Amino acid sequence: MTISEQGYLHWKGTFVERTFPWWPIARLGIRLAFKRKFFKFAFSLSFLPVFFFLAGIYVSERLDDFQSMLKGADRFLKVDPAYFKNYFTSEFLLFMMVMLMVLAGAGLIADDLKHNSLQLYFARPLRKRDYILGKMVTVFFFVLLLTLVPGLLFILFKLLFSGSFAFLAEFPWLPLSVLGFSLCLTLFFGFYTLLISSLNRNRRYVSILLFLVYIFSDVFFGIFYGIFHNPYFSLLSIKSNLQQVGAAFFKVKRAYDIPWIYSFLVLAGIAVVSALVLRRKVRSVEVIK
Amino acid sequence: MTMIYAAIRSVFVFFLFIGRKARKTRLFFLISGLPVVAALIIQTTRVFTAGSSVDGPAVFTVILMAFNLQFLILVLALFYGTSICSEEVEGKTLTYLTTRPLPKPAIILGKYAASALFLILMVATSVVAAFVILHIDRLFDAGAWLAMLRGLGVLALGLACYLAFFTMIGTFLKKSILFGLFFCFGWESVVQYFPGTTQKFTIMHYLKSLLPAVTLGGEKLSFLVFRLEPSSAAASITTLLVLTAVFLALAGLIFSRKEYLFDD
Amino acid sequence: MTAFIRTEGLSKWYGNVLGLSDVTLEIGPGITGLLGPNGAGKSTFLKLITGQMKPSIGRATIDGRDIWNQYPVFKRLGFCPEQDAFYEEMTGWEFLRRLLGLHGFPRAESDSRAEEALRFVELSGDKDRLIRGYSRGMRQRLKFAQAIAHDPEIMILDEPLNGLDPLSKRKVIRLIKEYKDAGKTIIVSSHVLPEIEALTRTIVLVHQGKILARGDIHDIRDLIDKHPHMISVKTHDSRNLAASFVGEPTVSNIRFGPAPDAVVFETKDRDRFFALLMRLIAERKIEVEEITSPDDNLQAVFDYLIGK
Repeated sequence: MTISEQGYLHWKGTFVERTFPWWPIARLGIRLAFKRKFFKFAFSLSFLPVFFFLAGIYVSERLDDFQSMLKGADRFLKVDPAYFKNYFTSEFLLFMMVMLMVLAGAGLIADDLKHNSLQLYFARPLRKRDYILGKMVTVFFFVLLLTLVPGLLFILFKLLFSGSFAFLAEFPWLPLSVLGFSLCLTLFFGFYTLLISSLNRNRRYVSILLFLVYIFSDVFFGIFYGIFHNPYFSLLSIKSNLQQVGAAFFKVKRAYDIPWIYSFLVLAGIAVVSALVLRRKVRSVEVIK
Repeated sequence: MTMIYAAIRSVFVFFLFIGRKARKTRLFFLISGLPVVAALIIQTTRVFTAGSSVDGPAVFTVILMAFNLQFLILVLALFYGTSICSEEVEGKTLTYLTTRPLPKPAIILGKYAASALFLILMVATSVVAAFVILHIDRLFDAGAWLAMLRGLGVLALGLACYLAFFTMIGTFLKKSILFGLFFCFGWESVVQYFPGTTQKFTIMHYLKSLLPAVTLGGEKLSFLVFRLEPSSAAASITTLLVLTAVFLALAGLIFSRKEYLFDD
Repeated sequence: MTAFIRTEGLSKWYGNVLGLSDVTLEIGPGITGLLGPNGAGKSTFLKLITGQMKPSIGRATIDGRDIWNQYPVFKRLGFCPEQDAFYEEMTGWEFLRRLLGLHGFPRAESDSRAEEALRFVELSGDKDRLIRGYSRGMRQRLKFAQAIAHDPEIMILDEPLNGLDPLSKRKVIRLIKEYKDAGKTIIVSSHVLPEIEALTRTIVLVHQGKILARGDIHDIRDLIDKHPHMISVKTHDSRNLAASFVGEPTVSNIRFGPAPDAVVFETKDRDRFFALLMRLIAERKIEVEEITSPDDNLQAVFDYLIGK
């Protein structure tokens, strides 16, 4: 009987069609995120705007009761697509999403690279796309909890508090906008986080880069816009691009007078770069036969 | 004293050598070069746009220095400072240092000195390059050079102080990056604008106090001096130096007393 | 100058978990093997005597000087850690040279010492390669090299033979013995009992944070009354030989096998048994092929004391 080296090999069996092969990876990512103390705090903090906006929806239906407190501020409590856009593209929410990515997403691929876990993953019946999808779903879970769920809740509570479907009759496309922009944010943050996480094995570097790229893109936009007053410089800023696309989804006037499709293309470009980099970086050990 | 100095020097040389080849040095050199890229874009646009009202020197003084002071040195100091101790613990290389005949504080101080040198070189290269690009048509203006050198001095002091602070934080906090981010973009960014004595509880206050009041077209425009109630230059320099020394002393003390266990 | 490591009531808690309890030892020149299962407290002990941790109670000293926070001690101490960690961007040569620089050696001396250490661990040919490109065995040898490069009097080696091929293991074992012959104090920690047996007969056995036994392996074995000594005798006349010992009160058990013509005796008085055996062999002219003690070894000591 010959003795042959078994080591770590590519899965040589036939791939059986499993329902969700990426799910164990996603589940682990989510579980690990919740194990971090600071993550739970940051995640809870991210829901603050949800409560404020929900309260705003309630107050908007009870304006008479709050008239004395509001004193002219009631014009800010008009619940319309702009209200939703303000929530989805608020500086605080976007900043907190970046912080959550720093806490929960920085190590998604970086830790696997550091501990040489990729060869363990691919010695199982797992395709590269399952691995990447599993990691993405970890990000999707948190971002959707902060976007789609509150967005739909706002609509639901608006209908409940108003006691009629008038709101939906007036803005029938709003649920689709909420879904569409939530997906947009989710996909962007998924690609963005995995791109940076795959660039380095050190979680500390990745954390800093995740934060730096977001902040610096906005700072440089501020510098160039301050000098040249050219709205096209907003394409440099991740935050501005997200806000431009958000304004388009909710049919609200955009902050900068440039076609929203340009911002969308910038965000899509980042996703494409991410896909290319992930394709290159996520690979098991080459087995030479 | 000579022994401590010799120990610090040997650690400094050790990490100077490592830092030269480290990937993070290249990465942060690139990051610190962003103002140079911005300067190039601004100057190129200025040159090719007829009737451009953009004033290169004003851009340098008002905007790029603001970026360097309010963002770049904070980020660089945060990353390098927290890495001084954490890098050795996470990389499990701390053992190689603590089993050498070196006083423990010398390890921290030597690595601090090497990091400070790299950071000052990075920032100085970036500032000088951006200055030259934006002052290309008035390179012989001695006043501008002096102002630039003064600004560079402030940045160097700021780097030294912030680096010392984050070195200290890195010696006892595991999640030092997170704390550092909240400190830089929470505390320093907000409290520096508070009225009265409160703003003196930020390092940024003393750095800004060392900058000349900036005017543009006869009016004070720079948001660098927004809501600033400056301290005197002497008091600012003294405070910054004292803070640096205190932070480094604390870092050395904590490092020599604390046990660092590796995650197995 | 001979170096002694002394510990007095050395104890260490990790919060509420006891890592090491009341260890009082003196380790002098020669090789001492530090044994114990995972989680026994070996690493804790090594970290305490290399100044990586501060004792909760007690002290650890080298020639009377505390180890914790006393950096001059490290001029005489070399430590080969267990963890596989390096400054990956350096070459093997640079790594050794720079570490020697931290000892205060002038440049020329650092170079020659580094050269010597690399030559000894057979890494001279790869000295200019980046450490990140080294194999597991090369990394282990480099770790060993950094522990010996400054010619310390005391060497503390945590799993020094990990990842080495059999030839390299023999070489390193030979080196460690050479250092012993030069009068150095060496502590070797290992899980692999045959490796320890190849190095030394003097052991310290650690279990659940306590010292279970220390001293010569055979002396320890003799003291383990609960487990009688096993002596296997292989002879064609095994049954007659067995019958001769049935009435002997110090023989507690006799069984045949596992090898053909082998009989295994269990006795609490090994010396008396051997005296009887020799007398019978001489009187009856029994042809004996082999006499062995299957449990007079470190594995047996380890198993009996740890309670497997």
